[in-house]
Amino acid sequence: MQVAESTPVEHHAFEFVKASGGIEEYRLTRNGLTVLLLPQTAAPVVTFMVTYRVGSRNERAGLTGATHLLEHLMFKGTERYNKDNGTAIFPTLQRVGAVVNATTWFDRTNYYELLPKEHLALAVEVEADRMRNARVRDEDLASERTVVLNELDRGENDPTRKLLQALHATAYFAHPYGHPTIGWRSDVEQVSAAGLRHFYDTYYWPDNATASVIGDFDRLEALDLVERHFGAISAAPDPFEHNVTAEPPQIGERRVTVRQAGQLGAVMMGYKSVAALDADADALDVLAVALGNGKSSRLYRRLTDQGLTTGVFAYAPRLRDPGLFIVYGALAPDVTHDEVEAALWETVQQVVTEGLTEAEIVRARNQVVAQEAFGRDGPYAIASQLNEAVAAGDWTLYTTYLDRIERVTPEAVQAAAERLFVRDTLTVGIYDPIVAENGVPDAG
Amino acid sequence: MQVDAAPTLAERVHEADCGAARVLTLPTSADRVVSFRGSFETLPDFGAGEELEQKLVTMMLDKGTLRRDRFAVAEALENRGVQLHFSANGLRCGFSGRTLRDDLPEVLAVLAEQLREPLFDPDEFEKVKAQHAASLRRSLDNTGTQAAGALARRLYAANHPNFQPDSEAMLERLDALKVEDARAYHERHFGARDLLVAFAGDCEPAPIAKLVTDTLGDWHAPTDGAAFATTADPEPPGRVEVPIPDRQNLDVRFGHPVAIRRSDDDFLALHLGNYVLGGNFSARLMSTVRDEQGLTYGIGSSLSGFRVEHEGYWRIAVTLSGDALERGIEATLEQARRFVEGGITQPELEEKQQTLTGAYKVGLATTGGLAGALLTNAERGFDVAYLDNFPKRIEALTVETVNAAIERHLDSDRLHLAIAGTLPEAG
Repeated sequence: MQVAESTPVEHHAFEFVKASGGIEEYRLTRNGLTVLLLPQTAAPVVTFMVTYRVGSRNERAGLTGATHLLEHLMFKGTERYNKDNGTAIFPTLQRVGAVVNATTWFDRTNYYELLPKEHLALAVEVEADRMRNARVRDEDLASERTVVLNELDRGENDPTRKLLQALHATAYFAHPYGHPTIGWRSDVEQVSAAGLRHFYDTYYWPDNATASVIGDFDRLEALDLVERHFGAISAAPDPFEHNVTAEPPQIGERRVTVRQAGQLGAVMMGYKSVAALDADADALDVLAVALGNGKSSRLYRRLTDQGLTTGVFAYAPRLRDPGLFIVYGALAPDVTHDEVEAALWETVQQVVTEGLTEAEIVRARNQVVAQEAFGRDGPYAIASQLNEAVAAGDWTLYTTYLDRIERVTPEAVQAAAERLFVRDTLTVGIYDPIVAENGVPDAG
Repeated sequence: MQVDAAPTLAERVHEADCGAARVLTLPTSADRVVSFRGSFETLPDFGAGEELEQKLVTMMLDKGTLRRDRFAVAEALENRGVQLHFSANGLRCGFSGRTLRDDLPEVLAVLAEQLREPLFDPDEFEKVKAQHAASLRRSLDNTGTQAAGALARRLYAANHPNFQPDSEAMLERLDALKVEDARAYHERHFGARDLLVAFAGDCEPAPIAKLVTDTLGDWHAPTDGAAFATTADPEPPGRVEVPIPDRQNLDVRFGHPVAIRRSDDDFLALHLGNYVLGGNFSARLMSTVRDEQGLTYGIGSSLSGFRVEHEGYWRIAVTLSGDALERGIEATLEQARRFVEGGITQPELEEKQQTLTGAYKVGLATTGGLAGALLTNAERGFDVAYLDNFPKRIEALTVETVNAAIERHLDSDRLHLAIAGTLPEAG
């Protein structure tokens, strides 16, 4: 990425760490908070985001869903910002036009505000306050638990989501990627506020977080704001335990079937993949694009264009620990699971035996280049990509991405495919809907 | 988009007549990226179910042109990483895309071919039919789609653009359609009737005007078009249930018609009023039914289906687990009644004025957001200055004007109720 680097800002409370792709990293020396700055003046708005390095991979049995439920409770208020005194977090921020939300996933939790630039101070103040001062009360959990149970029911309505969960639960015996980030129902039903408070007190500290400021702002003023509001928070009292149970090697194909009243089936195949920072990861990104992106892609041409499926995708998120490389096909009417599974298998095996063509590699690269440019269109889009790079363990994954993709060769893709697409590390998920005889599910 | 003394959109947007097309171009400081949005009037015969033909035609647009087969079309775009989508939306069809600046000439050339000279290969048409049939069948399991459709059918006759035919009826009609039907629909309805295209991003107005003139400027304007109902034709207020097995989350939609159009003076007052009830996370519905009572994950209200060409409806949407269904419905209705009877307060007005004017700035932070806002505004027949003046119009609203609009147009006793999912007694 060709971006001119500017001179770092000197600020008494921060040390400059490094710069890459127009983003500067600083460290708040008093407590270890990482700060990323990316000034952009395209529009008079700014995004402020705090990414915590905690996700469902940090959850133990009985506490699944804690990351997500805690994220909900973080909007219930702090001693300072709460509904009782008319300063609840959502109204306080939305009043100034902010887009406010938070998300959770396997490796991270993020809170963000996209707002008119003159209100940046408010976002920084709120996020600093709830880093250590969230109330996490019993009464708040009582009403929010049922909200999350409804969210869980909504997810259960969706066959693709159910299939994805079943695939992970089958592929992972030991590693926490085997349970969904929203948690297992009984844990959501039973977790206590004390349990969530313990989780909060373990992971919500400045030295386990990265604060990103993206958009139309002055760097020195932004660092001042961060220091003013986060500077008084101490570092975590204990070291973080980020090592989790390693998944034992998978030797032998696994299969899982999801049944639910419905209309048309689907096949999802997940291969054990590599960690985000692995040497093969860039080649696998190119492979995922070539397999599943657009109507020129291998999967589209082999399956959807031939009438076997109505939709296909290849999905290979880069996670901190080895995740799954997934290929998927939604069955067209009158097509069997076996036909689609065989076609998915053949399509990926063809890459192993023959590799991709030079034209496919070039197309995939061009798509990545364009996606990257599109991904810089607006400060929230950038924050979202940066967030995943922070979670994977290295934010420069985002800024160095194009250069690394440019270096991916056909040979590297074929070699990575050969290592990846192995029958013994495959888990196959089948969505086999229960269809009533007249084609309409039985309502009874 | 800019604040304070920055140039207004009206000053920054270049408008040009490019043959049959009207083009709006907004250069921004975006790096290399250009977003574009376009649309044209198609006027399907809703009473005859022609939105189905319209949908199939838009699906056929990327299945080859008279000059290149479907793979050549895909490669021409995807080799450049271009995103291009076609859509069918009631009275109009449209396209939207995002490209790198240097690829714009080739992208517009391909786009024009796709719009003007689709191949209509019979084999591809059969595949498209099968895909759409699958999509309709999958929608039978979707609680949101089924609840929304059931509500629309209570409020509108089949010849209103807001009507939604039921999936089973569409499947039956779909089965009988031939490629000739799609080709004929394209010939009669696709063309440069009120063709509008908006560009925003790293682009220059003069070259863009020339590109559009060269590619779409001489596209014919069709004269065929069906009359459509502009007002609702509701059944008496009532409740309809769509049982779907194995769906423990139920989607619930409340609604009643509102006899104004998007261009009506009352629209913005009603828009702000509705925002107090259910426009965002801090609105009354979320803060009571979700935050205090814990009955739902998602709840909100909106003014839906309003166009300058026809009237729309007030809608409240909530998702409820089976064990909370009736309590959730009652809690939602209680908020609706309180809102209609008591109106909004001065602090609520001020809060939502700030929210709407701030959110307006945030919404214009991307090239896609800008191109979309320019197109939507032009479709309404409003000039660009309307966008600049939008915050002022919101700030000029008073509690009295908002509450008078609520009183004139909203009535909780007229609300219909549609529910889809596994009903507790049936589960």
